[in-house]
Amino acid sequence: MRATVVHLVPLFLALFLAPALAKTKAPETEEEPASQEKVQSDISTRQVSIQSNFTGAEILIFGSIDFSDSRTPGEGTYDVIAVVRGPNDPIVIRKKERVAGIWVNGPGKTFDKAPGFYAVLSSRPVRAIASDRTLKELGIGLSDLDFGRHIAADPQEQAFRSAMIRLKEEKNLFQENDDGVKFIGRSLFRANVALPVNVPTGRYTVDVYLFRNGAVVSNSQGSLEVTKAGIEAVLYRLAFKHAFIYGLLGVALAATMGLAGWYAFRRD
Amino acid sequence: MFQIYLPIAEISVNVMLMLGLGTAVGFLSGMFGVGGGFLLTPFLMLSGIPPAIAVATGANQIVASSVSGTLAHWRRGNVDLKMGFVLIAGGVVGAIVGVLLLKLLREVGQAGLMISLTYVCFLGVIGALMLWESARAMLRVRAGKAVAARKSGQHNWIHGLPFKMRFPTSRLYISTIPPLVIGVAVGLLASFLGVGGGFIMVPAMIYLLRMPTNIVIGTAIFQIIFVTAIVTVLHATFNHTLDVVLAFPLVIGGVIGGQFGVRAGQKLRAEQLRALLALMVLGVALRVLIDLVVRPSDLYSIVPLVGS
Repeated sequence: MRATVVHLVPLFLALFLAPALAKTKAPETEEEPASQEKVQSDISTRQVSIQSNFTGAEILIFGSIDFSDSRTPGEGTYDVIAVVRGPNDPIVIRKKERVAGIWVNGPGKTFDKAPGFYAVLSSRPVRAIASDRTLKELGIGLSDLDFGRHIAADPQEQAFRSAMIRLKEEKNLFQENDDGVKFIGRSLFRANVALPVNVPTGRYTVDVYLFRNGAVVSNSQGSLEVTKAGIEAVLYRLAFKHAFIYGLLGVALAATMGLAGWYAFRRD
Repeated sequence: MFQIYLPIAEISVNVMLMLGLGTAVGFLSGMFGVGGGFLLTPFLMLSGIPPAIAVATGANQIVASSVSGTLAHWRRGNVDLKMGFVLIAGGVVGAIVGVLLLKLLREVGQAGLMISLTYVCFLGVIGALMLWESARAMLRVRAGKAVAARKSGQHNWIHGLPFKMRFPTSRLYISTIPPLVIGVAVGLLASFLGVGGGFIMVPAMIYLLRMPTNIVIGTAIFQIIFVTAIVTVLHATFNHTLDVVLAFPLVIGGVIGGQFGVRAGQKLRAEQLRALLALMVLGVALRVLIDLVVRPSDLYSIVPLVGS
């Protein structure tokens, strides 16, 4: 009991002294070049396999800030934004119109390169971290995404664009998380991204940006691969590469089951 | 826990739910002696399966139930093979046209609408006719009159057509044009709606071709095996819309449910069965119609580009 109290004394001292030390150190660090900090990051998994029991996956983006000036956690010197981007695919958005009492799909708009998955995670709201111009340049945020159409003047265009974003957000294929990046200690951070069940397959890029005073001081890039695996991969490949054989397989399977059912239940 | 990922539909569904759906539809189809596709495909669409995948996978499920059905009828000698092959010849043509039509509609984003509209029209008309017919039959039975039997000497305009052929099992000598046309129509419906087409083929064979009723049902089911098999292969080849992982629980449920349905059906009178079936057909038509006329909660939808 006595021993513990003795051990705690230096710790209390340190806590009291820490703010004072930080204050005295501050002028020194400002003289050093701002580009010294470096962000390093990685992803918990490089490969997400879609198998028959797949109901979505959680990936963890983690990293650290080397040569961090920050003395205490949550000091607010640095901001981190992580952007996860899935493969681009052309998609069509259609709007239903009422024709003779029934709702039919009207003419649609094609977006040539909409990301199949897109998530922005940040330590604070992105608008508080950097200016709109900086965010736009880096392609951060749903409102600044480039979908491969540039007819912004058309008001209908905006309606289709926001409808697409809304629909993708509902399916969790587009995500914006204002406090998705959590700092642990003074230089470690982590961010969890939930990939929904309907994630497209392909190569995903993960960009991690380190901000200080509204400017990017360092960034790092990683990637992960989402693939169908096991029986799912075999069937998918068969269905698209050897479609005829796949069709015959489906029929053979059904016919065999029908035959087995008749045999099992026959009454003679 | 029972979630399973569908490789083609790219969504996750509950296996138990699909097994239950297959069993319920199998039970009803066994009870009424129909393929059950007209129930299965709309139910799949209502549970979130994309329409084109529901159609192709629905057709695949009917292959299984019609194989068991045909074997049962075959043992009783109720299958007219020659008539079956003429119907299949027409069915192949109809199936090819239907599959290509669906591919075209998918490219312009109207597949779901056209499938729903065709369902409403066909099921509405067939259901109303069946209800009318069975109500009259029930009234006649109540009045104590015998149901008119087939008069073998009776002739209609069908008998004036050329290319006549002898069908010994059905005791018929008629033109091959009407069965071919019926086959084409059924092939079209099968590929477009994911149904076997029994609900249209059976009345056509009874009233137009004047085939004996017991042989009509066996021959119809026999023909449905081939038409739905062809439709399945064509959809898989041209539209890549067959999901075997989805088909599997549906097939198992369908085969088991079908056997119990047949037993349950034997306890009901024929005209009562027809009236019940008519009400169910009308119910499905109404359900699909409601989805078409009620303002959707979201006017916008994402349509993936075909082949991307």
